[in-house]
Amino acid sequence: MAEIVYAAGAPHAPGLIGLLEAAPADVKDVVIHTYRTLADAMASAKADVLIVFANDHLANSRVRTYPDFLIGMAAEHRGPYEWFKPWIGCEDYTVKGSPEVAAALFDGMTKRGIRMFAQTENLKFDDNISVPVLLTNVAGSGIPMVPVLQNCTVPPIPDQRRCYEVGKALGDFIREDLPADMRVALLGSGGLSHEPGGARYYFIDEEFDRWFLDLVASGDHEKLLNELTLEKMEAAGSGGTAELLAWVVVLGAIGSKPGKSFGYTVHKDFKCGVGGVLWDMSPNMPKSRAA
Amino acid sequence: MGLEKFRASLATHDLIQDLKWSPELREEFAANEKAVLDRYPLRKDERHAIETRNFLALYDIGLHPYLGGQFARLIFGNEAGKGAAIAVNKLVESLQGKGSVA
Repeated sequence: MAEIVYAAGAPHAPGLIGLLEAAPADVKDVVIHTYRTLADAMASAKADVLIVFANDHLANSRVRTYPDFLIGMAAEHRGPYEWFKPWIGCEDYTVKGSPEVAAALFDGMTKRGIRMFAQTENLKFDDNISVPVLLTNVAGSGIPMVPVLQNCTVPPIPDQRRCYEVGKALGDFIREDLPADMRVALLGSGGLSHEPGGARYYFIDEEFDRWFLDLVASGDHEKLLNELTLEKMEAAGSGGTAELLAWVVVLGAIGSKPGKSFGYTVHKDFKCGVGGVLWDMSPNMPKSRAA
Repeated sequence: MGLEKFRASLATHDLIQDLKWSPELREEFAANEKAVLDRYPLRKDERHAIETRNFLALYDIGLHPYLGGQFARLIFGNEAGKGAAIAVNKLVESLQGKGSVA
């Protein structure tokens, strides 16, 4: 039985790289502490593979043929895609892929009734993968990555209950289909509140963000699934806040566990609330899942 | 203004995605926008909204806001803290009631 040894959620706002230097010191402290802690925990977990769920941002597929989940099967993942470089303001990176785990994931989810798509060519990555890869040192650590780009913004959007179901199937796949000694890390990349491209582009819903961070750290998944509706996320920032559905997939995979947050900060130029959560994956933690 | 007006079939979505996927098309769009627009099956009001940089009208027609944000960067600038900041401000100005920000 393979084991999930690391599970975390964190935002991927492009300003966290390109605009960090110009941010106020207290904002920088939260950003640096959050991602450094997540990076250190990932290194300590000694995972054999990292599976990242993140909003695709309409970067890879036409609106008319938009997949809800798109697995990157490449042997090597390169980013960011050309047009996003000046916008993110980051260096080029290359991360080792895991075609074997990606293929097993595709087959395993298909077998479990979850329609995913998979692509062997390099996916186009924007901030969704680039920011966590660079800020949590995935590129430098050598850990192979399987990116899964998710539909968080093109209606109809798979809601919190569907994403949790997908997460439960993901957890089952990891435990039942992957090699018995494999150590797996999971990251949900996206959020917190933001409204990219909207009339409230600079809006950050601090109350929502603090509520969400406390809730996912509490491990109360029944409450999460009852209250984290698409309507609530849209009200907290249309077209952006629902990226938190990537965190919900991770939560479905690990079941109810407490987590730890490393502070929260808002900065107008980021146009996004910032805070991350690392869940306790120690083996003695009880496992339970919302129905 | 959220996703409630989103219209998946709008041709402008293809235009924006092609522009971000192709440096050559971006060059052509900057040099001869009309020639590029002629190749897309745009509605008359849709094309007029593009030509007058009226994001508010494009959103009313059904443009996805995320692609609207990218279209603003394709037009006004894409560099962090520089052109991208101008693009955001122009977009917000349009969406909050000004309409055309040509």
